[in-house]
Amino acid sequence: MIIFRVFLLFFILITPVKANTIYNLIKIPNLEIYNINTTNNLRYLYATKPFRLGVNVKKNIQCFNSDKKTLDKKYKIISKNLDRYSSDFLKKINLKYIVLCENLSVAKINTAGIPNNLTRTLILDIKFNETYFERAIHHEVFHIINDSHKEFFKENEWKNFNNKNFKYTKCSTCNNKWNLSLYNETQGFFTEYAKSTASEDMAEVFSHLMFYQNEINNDDTIINKKIQFIKKNILRIDNSFNF
Amino acid sequence: MIKKIKISISERIILFFIIILAIFSLISFVFIKEKCIFVKNHNPNNIQFDNPQNIAVLNTNCGNVIIELYPNVSPSSVKRFKTLIGSGAYNDAAFHRVIENKLIQAGDLEFGKRENLDYGKVGTGKSGLGTIKSELDVEFKFLRGHVGMARTFKMNTEDSQFFIILQDEPLFEGEYTPVGKVLYGIEVLEKVKFIDKFHTVPRPDFINYFKMLD
Repeated sequence: MIIFRVFLLFFILITPVKANTIYNLIKIPNLEIYNINTTNNLRYLYATKPFRLGVNVKKNIQCFNSDKKTLDKKYKIISKNLDRYSSDFLKKINLKYIVLCENLSVAKINTAGIPNNLTRTLILDIKFNETYFERAIHHEVFHIINDSHKEFFKENEWKNFNNKNFKYTKCSTCNNKWNLSLYNETQGFFTEYAKSTASEDMAEVFSHLMFYQNEINNDDTIINKKIQFIKKNILRIDNSFNF
Repeated sequence: MIKKIKISISERIILFFIIILAIFSLISFVFIKEKCIFVKNHNPNNIQFDNPQNIAVLNTNCGNVIIELYPNVSPSSVKRFKTLIGSGAYNDAAFHRVIENKLIQAGDLEFGKRENLDYGKVGTGKSGLGTIKSELDVEFKFLRGHVGMARTFKMNTEDSQFFIILQDEPLFEGEYTPVGKVLYGIEVLEKVKFIDKFHTVPRPDFINYFKMLD
């Protein structure tokens, strides 16, 4: 019995090699600091080796390390876009850590980013489609905003903006509506992907607002209602926010 | 007639090396057994402090660790710390989590005391006083020797456990509530027992006593 207990204790107490500060904070392995001296207190981390994550044994989130040249190039783009969010705002939405890696996927489906407001982390795929890369950063930030302030972004209220016969799909990957190109004729949606779920639709509106700033001129009444909804609720979180 | 045998040069050399080896063996045996041999023990009564009311003395097997608490940085946490120190709650608490040259953690008053150490639960215990809020408003850089309140994965879950870092930890800023800094005796903490590759220390070292100077 004593031997059994000792054996059991050994397996309970043993941990992977040495404790890692970053892993202890955000539960993602194989990361190092890229830059933490930022004006808005965001901490940029990068993958030194591939890593897998997941709540179950399958660990279906996967991402790979990148070369320094790509990291340096993409960091400039990412930080330029994320610097638009103030330290106060980031605190309010629970975003602190940005993880840079490449070929990010969930269940083998590639994705631009994975937000997690509980760990205050946004994992970004730095090799994501260049055409939409910058806008996708804001799209993913919105998911953090939404997850942290569900009380403001009520989906039922949002759904009422759409035509009565329109229905979102059950999840963002439940069909093949993944095109991120801006529609010529919006008809209530900026992109095809916006038609997948209400939260993706909100993220698309937010990302267009952030990326195109004041260049959005749209006669689409649905789009305009959606823009006003997003603006109103973002300002409820932080009334000094600049789109 | 008994012939006197002379020791050859090679035999002299071998004998010399055997003696040297024996001396080294004896010295290393003494040093290995006595890990505190070169650690200076600071006597707080021989030191002048600017804020003696905020000086705490943590005593371990290798001597005293003298800590200055920062009530201006984290008033609630320092108040809790002083309450627990004042009641003697930290006496005989284990250094249950020790990472070589990085961090030592203690203060589990439920499962980490000498008389009732529970290896399966140590690190999860509470003080019985309830949790307190994280105090992160003041900008604070965590450098070697700084003391912080430990918490669970969630914010605002600080209770009695604390850690002392043995190297600079820039990522701790804004994550953990700082409560003070080791002024003297960081080398004492470097001698606290750790086990490589183990998160929790089996048969750990303990705090002998933890008291306020005044």
